[in-house]
Amino acid sequence: MKNYILRRILQVVPVLIGISILIFAVMKMIPGDVISGILGVEATPELRAQLAAKYGLDRPYLVQYLDWIGGVLHGDFGESIRTSAPILPEILSRFKVTAELTILAAFISWIIAIPLGVLAAVKRNTLADRFVRVFALLGVSVPNFALSILLILVLSLAFSYFPPLGYVGFLEDPLRNLQIMILPAAILGVTISGSVMRMTRSSVLEVLRQDFIKTVRAKGASERVAIFRHALRNALIPIITLIGMQIGSLLGGAVIVEQIFSLPGLGQMTLTGINQRDYPVVQGCVLFIAFIYVLVNLLTDLLYAYIDPRISYD
Amino acid sequence: MNVKKWISVSLAGVMLLGTLAGCGGPSSNATPAPQDSTAPVGSEAPAPVSGGTLRWGTDSEPTGFDPHTNSEEASLRVMNQLYETLVERNADMTIYGQLAESWEIPDETTYVFKLREGVKFHSGREMTADDVVYTFDRILGKTEAGDIGALGSKSSYYGGVTSVEALDTYTVQFTLDAPNAAFLGNLTSNYGAIVDKDVIAEKGDLMRADGGTGPFTLGEWLPDNYVTVSKFADYWEADRVSLDGITYYLIGDEAARLAALRTGDIDFASLSASNVSAAEKEANLKVLSYQTNEYIAVGCNLSTAALQDLRVRQAISYAMDRDTIINVVFSGQAAPCSMVPPAMGHWSLDVSDMDLYKTNVDKAKELMEAAGYSDSNRLSLTLAAGLMDSLRQAAVVLQQQLAEIYIDLEITNLESGEYVDIWGKMSTPEAGFDMMIVNDGAGTDPNRSISFFFGTGSGANVFGFSNERIDELCTLGIATTDEALREEYYNEAQLICIEDCTKICIASPMKYFVTSTSVEGFSPSAADSSNFRDAYLAQ
Repeated sequence: MKNYILRRILQVVPVLIGISILIFAVMKMIPGDVISGILGVEATPELRAQLAAKYGLDRPYLVQYLDWIGGVLHGDFGESIRTSAPILPEILSRFKVTAELTILAAFISWIIAIPLGVLAAVKRNTLADRFVRVFALLGVSVPNFALSILLILVLSLAFSYFPPLGYVGFLEDPLRNLQIMILPAAILGVTISGSVMRMTRSSVLEVLRQDFIKTVRAKGASERVAIFRHALRNALIPIITLIGMQIGSLLGGAVIVEQIFSLPGLGQMTLTGINQRDYPVVQGCVLFIAFIYVLVNLLTDLLYAYIDPRISYD
Repeated sequence: MNVKKWISVSLAGVMLLGTLAGCGGPSSNATPAPQDSTAPVGSEAPAPVSGGTLRWGTDSEPTGFDPHTNSEEASLRVMNQLYETLVERNADMTIYGQLAESWEIPDETTYVFKLREGVKFHSGREMTADDVVYTFDRILGKTEAGDIGALGSKSSYYGGVTSVEALDTYTVQFTLDAPNAAFLGNLTSNYGAIVDKDVIAEKGDLMRADGGTGPFTLGEWLPDNYVTVSKFADYWEADRVSLDGITYYLIGDEAARLAALRTGDIDFASLSASNVSAAEKEANLKVLSYQTNEYIAVGCNLSTAALQDLRVRQAISYAMDRDTIINVVFSGQAAPCSMVPPAMGHWSLDVSDMDLYKTNVDKAKELMEAAGYSDSNRLSLTLAAGLMDSLRQAAVVLQQQLAEIYIDLEITNLESGEYVDIWGKMSTPEAGFDMMIVNDGAGTDPNRSISFFFGTGSGANVFGFSNERIDELCTLGIATTDEALREEYYNEAQLICIEDCTKICIASPMKYFVTSTSVEGFSPSAADSSNFRDAYLAQ
């Protein structure tokens, strides 16, 4: 197991190097630059040169890249060109918001999707199953930004309700924090629950058809034991894979939902960075997101062994 | 059965969470903030009330608060509460003393300002003539190495300042290299904000610090979420300020901003024309509008051979139906204008009777035919749009209008970074576009409106326009303080630019603030749209 984890962590290194080169190159290739953004109508060649020199953007790309990646290896992600704020502390504080949003959204999606998915599988081709399938289809096909705007409008018009403004951390004021987070988390939760529900349904259905379930029932086990202890547990591997991937991408920033609900998360930070062409911010965020994504995938793989003792990484 | 029970417990959990979310509504609305109540209908204007924090829903995130290097709108909203300038403009564009109590102009190149006594910086230290000298040394790049001062502002605003001296604690003298009629007007720009040198010495710059004398001080800033400013107790006009502070909440989505206004979660927001009509129907909201000094225009890349032909450029102006563009894009709330828009008062030329502003498709076709185009030989042009919704929409209307005069316009909507990049190249083939639709700010003095955007080689003259007479008129206009004479020069300059049609001005839009009915004492104008000194929240 230890060897496996070590091997996986070592595999992350070339992935991250690749991503760092890619994001550096992409940021240099996209049109528009940070200096045009800062100077606006006042841009003259002299001022451009002066600013480029100040931010080291006049050096060869290779030197710029090595300088940046060298800093990253020492835990220094540099400073934002636009706001001159250090980047890594900002990423970490943004990550707390995004991580909370993700955990809440994932939790909401599980408590919706897994019971409903199991219900649909057990009551196959009944009204309940059809209801779940329609719900799942909606979850998969309604984009989360549309749902967000729709909910904001409906809640404001019908109940004169708007989610509280001004973010506070969970530790500072848990109740207010939950009031701020619950709506965006519920929207994300509902939109990702669709695919989890479908996966749960098909996966449980497949297991229910297998002989060992018949054996379990023949032994006189209750339906609850048959379904939850035996069928669901055996159906979990594909569900966990899907959930792992979804958590990974949510942790990368639920960009649009964060923007609509003005949550100061990682997605919002990346987006602002891209709009302002703030190279070190975007590079830092993307690298961090990639790292988290890889980490979540690793954890998912390790979880397999826990759920299914037949899987071993030794 | 057990499965059902499990499911019902889970569903109950979801509903409980939903209820929890719902709980936030009434409780947050029930906070005893005075701004939630509306003014009594039909009553006398309520007396100003001290206290209350104005909650402003903003559309974009500020980048920082250094008035000498930053002029982007979201930052300006906050900076204008923190900083003050020597002189400022009234709504009618006349100038009054702010940090300067009075001023004299002993000769055309010397300005002597008498500073107000007892004005304190937010650090508590008194502002003196030395701070004014330091401020302009910083702007003009004369302070110690590493301090790059006010990027860009020095060339276009204060380029002609040769020296700034403190004559005594409260007197400061500016010497210019040549007479400059726009000098006082330029001092009203945020670029001329007087700053606290101690704060800069400590923090390096002012992007995340506050070195001002203004009515409010910088409080908390949680990036991508909110910024607060609170009343400065030692402000020199403290009696005038009623608000305890202003909180700027970032609500990027316009529909969400309108929803928050409706529910009373914010008191103040800017909205585009298309959403203003929805706000007007709400009993607890009111709309404040003012004519901006901005305008939209379409510029021709003179490196494109077809557009070097004056007939083609003029045909575009004749074919343009400005009223339709105004109705479609600005819901009728904009005025056709020259490069000196109507908000600039007597400097602005009345364009309503000008031929080139009257839609005349026949004349436009004639010109195009004379230039060799016809239905079988149509002209294909590419147009760059982007940056703002209004520009993207206006481009589409224009596309239809130009189709009638044998021009096929191919529109590309650019992402903002790319747009700004291409904007700077619009006089060269490298731009990759024949035309670009732009939104320009005309400034507060016609010198900026014309020489900065049309002077040969000027910074914002991106379409490569060059005309000797314009350059001559700009030189004459800046060298005299005789307003009647200046008006004559700038009127002639406007006429030349209009006839030339390199940059065809379309219209100057209104700008809207939607506020709760409790917001009083705030009257925005093109000269000053963020003065909250007299604003208050009525009970």
